[in-house]
Amino acid sequence: MTKHSGIDPLTQISPNQHVLIRLPSDNLKIVELKANAIVSLGKFGAFRVNEIIGYRFGTTFDIVYDGVEEEFVKGTQTMIGKISVLENRLKASSPALENSSENNRGLINLGSVVQEMSMAEIEAMKREAASGDAIISKMIESHKSFHQKTVHSQEKYLKRKKQKFAKFFTVEYLDSSGLLHYLIEKGDVLRVMDISQESLGMALNLANINSNGQYLCIDETGGLIVYAMLERMFAGDSNSKANGKIVVVHENEHPNLDLLKFSSYSDNFIQRHVKTISVLDFFEPAKEADIKSLFKPLSAEEINDLKSNKKSAYFRRLKWYHNQLSNIEVAASSFDGLLVASTLYLPTLIPRLGEKIHGSRPIVCYSQYKEPLLELSHSLYENLNYLAPSLLETRCRPYQTVRGKLHPLMTMKGGGGYLMWCHRVLPAAEPKLHQETLEKSEIKNSDEEGDEDAHKLDQEKQVIKRRKPNEDNEKL
Amino acid sequence: MSQFFEYKDTIKEGDLVLAWLSRDNLKPITVKAGEVFNTRYGAFSHSDMIGKPFGSQIAIRTKGSNRFGFIHVLQPTPELWSISLPHRTQIVYTPDSSYIMQRMECNPRSRVIEAGTGSGSFSHAFARSAGHLFSYEFHEVRYEQAKQEFKEHGLLEAGNTTITHRDVCKDGFEIKNGDTTSHEFRGPEETKVELNADCIFLDLPAPWDAIPNLTSVISKEKKVNLCCFSPCIEQVDKTLEALEEEGWQDVQTVEIQGRQYEARRQMVRRLDDAIERLRDVKRRKHEGVEKRQKNVEQTSNNGSSVEATESDKDLKHTEKTHFNPFGKGSRVKEGDSNFEWTQVSKVELEIKSHTSFLTFASKIIDRTRDEEQTKAYLATFKDEGSKLSKREQRRLKAQANKDIQKE
Repeated sequence: MTKHSGIDPLTQISPNQHVLIRLPSDNLKIVELKANAIVSLGKFGAFRVNEIIGYRFGTTFDIVYDGVEEEFVKGTQTMIGKISVLENRLKASSPALENSSENNRGLINLGSVVQEMSMAEIEAMKREAASGDAIISKMIESHKSFHQKTVHSQEKYLKRKKQKFAKFFTVEYLDSSGLLHYLIEKGDVLRVMDISQESLGMALNLANINSNGQYLCIDETGGLIVYAMLERMFAGDSNSKANGKIVVVHENEHPNLDLLKFSSYSDNFIQRHVKTISVLDFFEPAKEADIKSLFKPLSAEEINDLKSNKKSAYFRRLKWYHNQLSNIEVAASSFDGLLVASTLYLPTLIPRLGEKIHGSRPIVCYSQYKEPLLELSHSLYENLNYLAPSLLETRCRPYQTVRGKLHPLMTMKGGGGYLMWCHRVLPAAEPKLHQETLEKSEIKNSDEEGDEDAHKLDQEKQVIKRRKPNEDNEKL
Repeated sequence: MSQFFEYKDTIKEGDLVLAWLSRDNLKPITVKAGEVFNTRYGAFSHSDMIGKPFGSQIAIRTKGSNRFGFIHVLQPTPELWSISLPHRTQIVYTPDSSYIMQRMECNPRSRVIEAGTGSGSFSHAFARSAGHLFSYEFHEVRYEQAKQEFKEHGLLEAGNTTITHRDVCKDGFEIKNGDTTSHEFRGPEETKVELNADCIFLDLPAPWDAIPNLTSVISKEKKVNLCCFSPCIEQVDKTLEALEEEGWQDVQTVEIQGRQYEARRQMVRRLDDAIERLRDVKRRKHEGVEKRQKNVEQTSNNGSSVEATESDKDLKHTEKTHFNPFGKGSRVKEGDSNFEWTQVSKVELEIKSHTSFLTFASKIIDRTRDEEQTKAYLATFKDEGSKLSKREQRRLKAQANKDIQKE
């Protein structure tokens, strides 16, 4: 997407992009914005896209119906309102709180009796498209024991009512974290292999993803990993000059990077920076001579002479030809990092992919469960091409963030997956006894800082490994 | 050429390499022909490293003890650096730093403020991923050390990192001509640096004093994300107060817990084997008693005891196992292929149970739009239909059908 007449699609709301809409209930929704179109948020109302174009991402809007001509979204009861910008989500639809109690001593649970407004009355107000403020103010007015509540519980009450009756929404840029949250909320955690935001972020950092790297990747999350990698590499900007590239290896005939449809990159850009290749083509590439014997590109004149029906066939073949040649090239190249989120059996998968990784480059493997990574760690530990496989876990614990009432939330999402991190290394041949070059150099043992068992263990294990590498291989 | 952010193939004279001795012992070395790197595993000549690809294992056999030793030579990355770096202050570890970057949408377009620099661990990770990093350090010695380090690592040279000596709580974030900073002003006409920051990371003892100073340096063109890193809950409380006063939104405090596991093995020891073993012990005991009684009988019968022991040897029945996993015996190395093992994971002996509280917030300064510009822009789309998108229509239709079914 190009910068158009001063509106920047990466910081400002603009047409032809997917955005994340946060509803009063804090539920998320992905919407593709089309100029002149209408977006319906169901019970939260509907609005015209043009009215939000040009505002910054992160802006909160209210849908108001005062003095609006009655118009409904076709086939529904949802009325289209006008947009007004709100300062803050917190202040949205919040009547001032007054007259609260020190404690909840006087509060007796009488159920719905305390609310003098009937369901029918509330529904009527909603039908009249009264603003969220008006409904909530009326409800508080008619709530007999509202003043017996403490400020904190009044706030909680308000929050609940707001989630139900308010009509404001926030438009956010669709970054990888937002996309992940949307999928988690939708119940699509299995599709993204139960990965958490913190595991995703740590995988990107450990794999040292940056703008100019050539990365090898397996992504069974439907494209979330690739989406996040692209963001770290190019920031959603199709005009980025960086030359990084991701090679995505897939086990089926066709790749599944479905989630990339939400990204804002041009097709051309994706083609330049994301290359997909099947495991078969990657591990058993065709021979260049074979491809060249099957097809010969024609000169510009020859193409001009072709009939139009032949021409399209020719271009299909030409595309195939270039793709085959690039597959051969990709299969022979060496990469700056390996990032895998796969349910294939890892102890055989990772060493095969690892052969294609340059020395000193990180290998990161994500799994929903610890055990496959444990098995992988054991097998890599036996393999001299991999340095110090580590099994990692990271968990984010959210807090109730209210002054004077700070505490960890009572419940949080379980799961989030695990990571294996190691580095590709190049083993040396075992040196001969009595190396002459070292005769003069004195061993100072400058690194004798405390006796760390871990050192010894690592080195001992490596020595053991070295002494009988064949035996170890047989065991595997 | 940055020692960190450009992928290098082979080791050259003058390169910074990280020598990996073990998991928690990585040493930075600048490669220089003729020099020797001394470790407890032996002395490694720098000349052996030159010309080798990064990631190579360097192996030696020490004269005298004839012991075999090796190291791996790696190209530094921000994550490896955070394990190896000299600690000037408490550092931000990868589980925290990676989460902060992910949550603040740190990417090549981000303009990051980091205060203070500290040991510079997080700075390297920011410098890798961000468009520009403005780092602030109020401690003069640490500022000089960090500046020198950034220079050697090619962070300043890459042009996307600026480090400034500053107490941001007292004197704010603006960088003016004449300040102690790594920024090189083009001349007297360049009076100050346009920060335009949109990612703010405050690792300060009193972030609430710095928060009001952000107003003049944060971006007006986009949403700004902020993270305060404080170990104490009291600090969080005061930070929340300041954030509220300054109009920051979406405030949330979280905590990150990182764990590292070691892949180990546990021996499979079965119940039947235990029973068998006790049965064997019992049998031996019984035989022992019988033997003694026999001996007693024989000696009292004035017979020759030599004969008796010889016949005893014929009775030898139990084959001795070379190791008894249930009783005392020689220690078995974990993973010995003569035994059966299960794979287990073992958490570190000491875990980081609390690093800091991370308090996130965001802010939008400009809540207006240029009406003229938007109108002109939208005019270019005037031919596009004013209908709902197809996807939306389908969704609404499905919803309507559902409602009908319910009724």
